[in-house]
Amino acid sequence: MASTTATASTARIAPSKALVRRSEGQWSIVFRRFRRHRLAMISLALLALIFVASLAAPILAPFPRDAVGLAPRFSPPLTIHEGKLHVLGTDHVGRDFFTRLLYAARITLTVSFFVATLATLIGMTLGALAGYFRGIVDGIVMRILEFMASIPEFPVLLIITSILVTDPKLLPIPRFVLDFMGTLMLLSPVGNERAQVVVLIAVLTVFGWTGAARLMRGMVMSVRERDFIEAARSLGASNAFIILRHVVPNAFPPLVVTYTLSLAGALTSETALSFLGVGITDPTPTWGNMLQFATNFMLTNSWVPLIPGIPVVLCSLAFNFVGDGLRDALDPRLKM
Amino acid sequence: MTNFLARRLILVVVMAFVVSFASFALLNAAPGGPLEQLIALQSTTRRPDPDEVERVMKRYDLDLGMGVRFLRWLIGHPRGPIVIGGQELFTNFQIGCLKEGKARLVYPDGRVEEINCAKPVYLRDLADRPVSNGVLALDFGRSQQLAREQPVAELILLRLGPTLQLMGISTFLAIALSIPIGVYSAVKQYSRFDYFFTALTFFGSGMPTLFTGVMGILVFALLFKEAGLPYLPSGLAESNRDAVVPLLGTIKAGSLADRVWHLILPVTVLTFFNLAGWTRFIRSSMLEVMRQDYVRTARAKGLIESMVVMKHALRNALIPFVTLLAGVLPTLFGGAIITESVFSWPGIGKLFINALVASDYPVAIAYLLISTFLTLLGFLMSDILYTVVDPRIRLS
Repeated sequence: MASTTATASTARIAPSKALVRRSEGQWSIVFRRFRRHRLAMISLALLALIFVASLAAPILAPFPRDAVGLAPRFSPPLTIHEGKLHVLGTDHVGRDFFTRLLYAARITLTVSFFVATLATLIGMTLGALAGYFRGIVDGIVMRILEFMASIPEFPVLLIITSILVTDPKLLPIPRFVLDFMGTLMLLSPVGNERAQVVVLIAVLTVFGWTGAARLMRGMVMSVRERDFIEAARSLGASNAFIILRHVVPNAFPPLVVTYTLSLAGALTSETALSFLGVGITDPTPTWGNMLQFATNFMLTNSWVPLIPGIPVVLCSLAFNFVGDGLRDALDPRLKM
Repeated sequence: MTNFLARRLILVVVMAFVVSFASFALLNAAPGGPLEQLIALQSTTRRPDPDEVERVMKRYDLDLGMGVRFLRWLIGHPRGPIVIGGQELFTNFQIGCLKEGKARLVYPDGRVEEINCAKPVYLRDLADRPVSNGVLALDFGRSQQLAREQPVAELILLRLGPTLQLMGISTFLAIALSIPIGVYSAVKQYSRFDYFFTALTFFGSGMPTLFTGVMGILVFALLFKEAGLPYLPSGLAESNRDAVVPLLGTIKAGSLADRVWHLILPVTVLTFFNLAGWTRFIRSSMLEVMRQDYVRTARAKGLIESMVVMKHALRNALIPFVTLLAGVLPTLFGGAIITESVFSWPGIGKLFINALVASDYPVAIAYLLISTFLTLLGFLMSDILYTVVDPRIRLS
């Protein structure tokens, strides 16, 4: 095991392999423990597969995203129509399910990734500042946190999203953000498509940062009283240096876990919003709005909801398993 | 304690005010209001009729200033000139503008004034306008889209029953099941029982209710029906006509059996989801308590194990559970939005979603305000309950 983790520098310093046992880095220990968690490894592989497939959507997809009437509506999987194979069949207006599923994966995963990343970064920053400086900063952040905790989150999220998505002009979004996101998710620059997605990311982020902030604040407050911080300060280290070099790395392990879980949270939120008809709307495909249409027709075509439903549940479970594996790997004491 | 409660109540009032103000702002920012709809409707056929526009603006107070509108929405006042001792005050106080433009006012005393409004609205004009009793008196105005002109409160009351049924039963089941399962899992840690339920709860909390609901319908409503097994209904709270179910016989539409039959699937989905989270919570809280010294002491003095678990450990393990129950209160009223949507359950959560999709914001805002109030109340109750179940905690 040790040989795989040897870095160039330790190899140079070590005079004799017999005498010096190379120390194992923290992350390689974590990785070794993580690999033992079989379900987490399978989940990671699955997520990687879906991720790569969604990246390669334009190459893999056999049809244009929104092309209708490719085959009779609700053609079952493996239908061959006019010499072309529809691997997963077609939807209620004859669009190819497999194609739309790929593009939807790209949109849904990108949204989840940006929401979780932005929310964690914002939460980390605010939490660290509040916990480190206390005083007014802490007061403001805590009041906001209290406020966010005492509103019914999901209804508020729904109402704000529905207002902003219906009229995206209410939230001015810089052009370059629209262009960037549009290119990333292969969205058409015509119509509201890009604005809708960006608005959704923004709203979910605003509602998603509190967990990370609370966690970070608690961690920072416990770390900042420790002796090594005192030592660093007496050596003349600046606040920024102490926070970035000493405080953040110590608070990192639980944050990695919450990050993974917030990926799952963002995914389910986006799916739920689009399913309920207040998020991203057709023709922009997401697993959520595909599921919405599927349930409308499931009484006559019972197989249809499985097609968008299975990826949703697989990804949600996979993120949860990876989070669980990471929790076990990063801190065995936290094991459930 | 009194001090604490007073401070908490003040916080509730402040929060309620902030949220109602924010709600009002949302209500006004919301697209698809009555005026926009009128214009959209008319511009497809003809130009917007100015009289019609004025009528709509008057009807929905759109011509009034923001402050006045907020007051009328919140407390139902002002309703005309302010009367003190038989004297009407401020009758000519301008509070809004019906039509933009320039106007010249010539007063009887010869004074001339230019104002930036072609048709100003004065306080006296409010006397003959309909107004609600204000949100504070639980009058949320009238629905604009779903059921035109029907009071929002009526719409909500109509749907309160189904939601309370669904949420009450599933919450009760989840509590009644999660406590024994969580305790047993913790006491027999790493047993087969523990592994089974830990895995189950993991799946339960990882799977969105959206998915479990749809799969439930697929399997128990559609596939079972096709296979000739006793199936369950796919949605709604009761059938429109009698159903013949294999093995169970005929189920009369609207009977008690019919309603129970409709409850099974949504209740199961919700219970499963809550059960997952709560069992994990109780299990870990119980594991924590079982390691405490006083539990060891209880064992050391020779108490039987059941006594140790039930009396010494469980009571303390349930303390944090109380805070979790604070979150239940708003959902009892508000329902489970996703589950109700999946099962077309005629409850309040579904009403909320219908209102949002149809841009019927008075209904949506009413839901939001009541939920917020109940959330705050839930927190207050859990704080008080905390001191009841754990005398060590003193609120100050």
